[in-house]
Amino acid sequence: MEILARQKIIRDLLPKKFGWKGKIWVAVLILICMIGIFAYIRQLSSGLIVTSMRDYASWGIYISNFVFFVAISLVGSLITAVLRLTNVHWSTPLTRIAEIIAVSAITFASIIIIVDMGRPDRFYNLFLHGRLQSPIIWDVIVITTYFFISLLLLYFPLLPDFNIMLQAKKEAGNRFNKMYAFLGSFWKNTPKQKKISRRSINILSITIIPVAFAIHTVTSWLFATTYRPGWDSTNFGAYFISGAFLVGAGAVLVAMYVFRRAYELEKYITIDNFDRMGKIVVMLALVYLYFNVNEFLVPAFKMKKTDADHLLGLFTGEYSGVFWFAISTSMFLPILILINRKGRKPFPAFIAGTLVVVGSWFKRYLIVTPTLLHPFLPMHDVPESYRHYFPSWEEWAIAAGSLAGMVLIITIFARIFPIIPIQETIEETEKHEKV
Amino acid sequence: MRKFKYTVLTIVVSTFLTGIAICQETKNNLILGLGYFNDNNQMQYLKANTKTKVSGKFTQVPGVSLSFYISSVSPGNLLGKATTDDKGMAFILIPPAARDEWNKSPKQSFLVVSDSSKLYDAVTSSIDLVKARIRIDTAEDKKIIATLYELKDTVWVPVKGVDMRVAIKRLDGDLNVSEAPTYTTDSLGMISADFKQDGLPGDTAGNLILIAKVEDNDTYGNLSTEKTVPWGKVSKYVSNYNQRSLYGRRGWSPLWLEWMAYTIIAGVWVVLLYLFMQIRKLKQLGAQV
Repeated sequence: MEILARQKIIRDLLPKKFGWKGKIWVAVLILICMIGIFAYIRQLSSGLIVTSMRDYASWGIYISNFVFFVAISLVGSLITAVLRLTNVHWSTPLTRIAEIIAVSAITFASIIIIVDMGRPDRFYNLFLHGRLQSPIIWDVIVITTYFFISLLLLYFPLLPDFNIMLQAKKEAGNRFNKMYAFLGSFWKNTPKQKKISRRSINILSITIIPVAFAIHTVTSWLFATTYRPGWDSTNFGAYFISGAFLVGAGAVLVAMYVFRRAYELEKYITIDNFDRMGKIVVMLALVYLYFNVNEFLVPAFKMKKTDADHLLGLFTGEYSGVFWFAISTSMFLPILILINRKGRKPFPAFIAGTLVVVGSWFKRYLIVTPTLLHPFLPMHDVPESYRHYFPSWEEWAIAAGSLAGMVLIITIFARIFPIIPIQETIEETEKHEKV
Repeated sequence: MRKFKYTVLTIVVSTFLTGIAICQETKNNLILGLGYFNDNNQMQYLKANTKTKVSGKFTQVPGVSLSFYISSVSPGNLLGKATTDDKGMAFILIPPAARDEWNKSPKQSFLVVSDSSKLYDAVTSSIDLVKARIRIDTAEDKKIIATLYELKDTVWVPVKGVDMRVAIKRLDGDLNVSEAPTYTTDSLGMISADFKQDGLPGDTAGNLILIAKVEDNDTYGNLSTEKTVPWGKVSKYVSNYNQRSLYGRRGWSPLWLEWMAYTIIAGVWVVLLYLFMQIRKLKQLGAQV
């Protein structure tokens, strides 16, 4: 009976070839990436003048995208580390989804920051001549560290699955066997190996939490250590972290639904998973709402002259449409959908997750750009284009390319590796049956 | 037929005249101001400003060519030409060549004439002034005494009842020496001011520059005289270039920051290295099976 269950789990969870929908999906993503690369080549040859960034709005959607990627990468620590350390088992099918989202997001966070540089060929100077006092250096250090921790946290739980995939060569196909063998043929499932792996995962789970907090706090300090309306806040670290947890959890909801449908994983990513994940998103949205109230209402109550232009621009002015769209879609609507049990069914939860992700992207845009267009000293004798910012097509293409690139990594990963941990699922099923 | 011709002629002429009138009406009025300045009884210069009224508001007029004259508008009395800048201002130094004309009389007049252009007619402005100068002295207890003299025939005589300002010259303006904004000269042409700005940073020797000024006076123009006094605090430049600080250059961060940052980085990376070693250990264990 146990053997049959084990075989079925392995058969269900082994990576599958793309169907025609999958192939079209990958082709579309590659096309978007190619357009992004073309736009970047144009930017490299002509310089940043092809963007709409000028003296005032010197950070545009590239940096918004960077903050978004850093935020979404935090999900790895939430699902994998926090829930693992608190001995929560319902999240087991979601851990790998969360980890690959984290790895791909942090990879593109690193890439997009280089894209934002006018002279990327001088990037190495950041390492050779960086000042330890600069939050930019802290960000470089912490992103690199977080990338490696996330990679290890993805790799260690994969080790038993390599062994399973090598054993199931017929079902899995031969295409990736060399890669599986290179990455994990040494895994023999011995008690000693299991012990080392378990201990390593626990160490990683503990280590990743402060590093994950650091990565997003430091990213918030890139703004908060600068004296500007909208950024001059002691609330920024906590505000960024709460927002990051929310967008990451929203992304997991979306990925859960997509993988469940695409790979017919209804038995593994259950309605109960959506229900619990939906509750987490509601809680995180409420926490983020609380920080937003602090971030906007407190300065709005005082309405200092320098803050007033910025805040009124968000509430009723030039950015009010985007602002209220972002607030509604990233917080209010997901709460309204997910607060009901029916709203936590897979499809409504997917809609809520999508709203969170889309709203959160625009929220990052609002954090970065409007502040830059409200300097303390009035803008004098500058061309009209300096006073406003709307991204050029090159910026849109590069930003879209980077987002598509992140999704492409996740898609290809799911084609090569099991998106739900096979060995852990088997062990938990066996435990459950014993009970 | 003749009547028709006259009617057409009348219409053409009146249209032409109306056109001229409209063209003339579109020219704005240029307001031209002229000021005389004498710094430290040495450097003399004239400053002109141009403005016009646009939509009920005064606006500076840049790019207006101006000719400055002494005594009268004649080629021999031309002091120089200048064009107004973005702020509608133009100035010229009174050249040594004008010395003879200047020495003719204790009173002097200056004129400025703007060139006629498509937008503005030529405008002339003038000032008449009596030659004057200020003397500044100091007494005990940091008292400042300034005296205003005017030239009468060939003799400098004190002037009574003129407002004068006494201040300390700073980088971007003048700081009054006491609460009083101005002082009025007495029958001896003198004013007396107490220096009440103790502790003000001076130069490396503690020197401050006192300045006595007559500003925008209808009779004397703008006069000023300076005197250096050692009443300030000695300013010593201390370079913090080689000090460790949060704003310091690379490699000069505070030690506490370096200690904290490197400890955290080392702590985390030691853990990561340990985990990489664990992978190696797993490989070795796998090879033994």
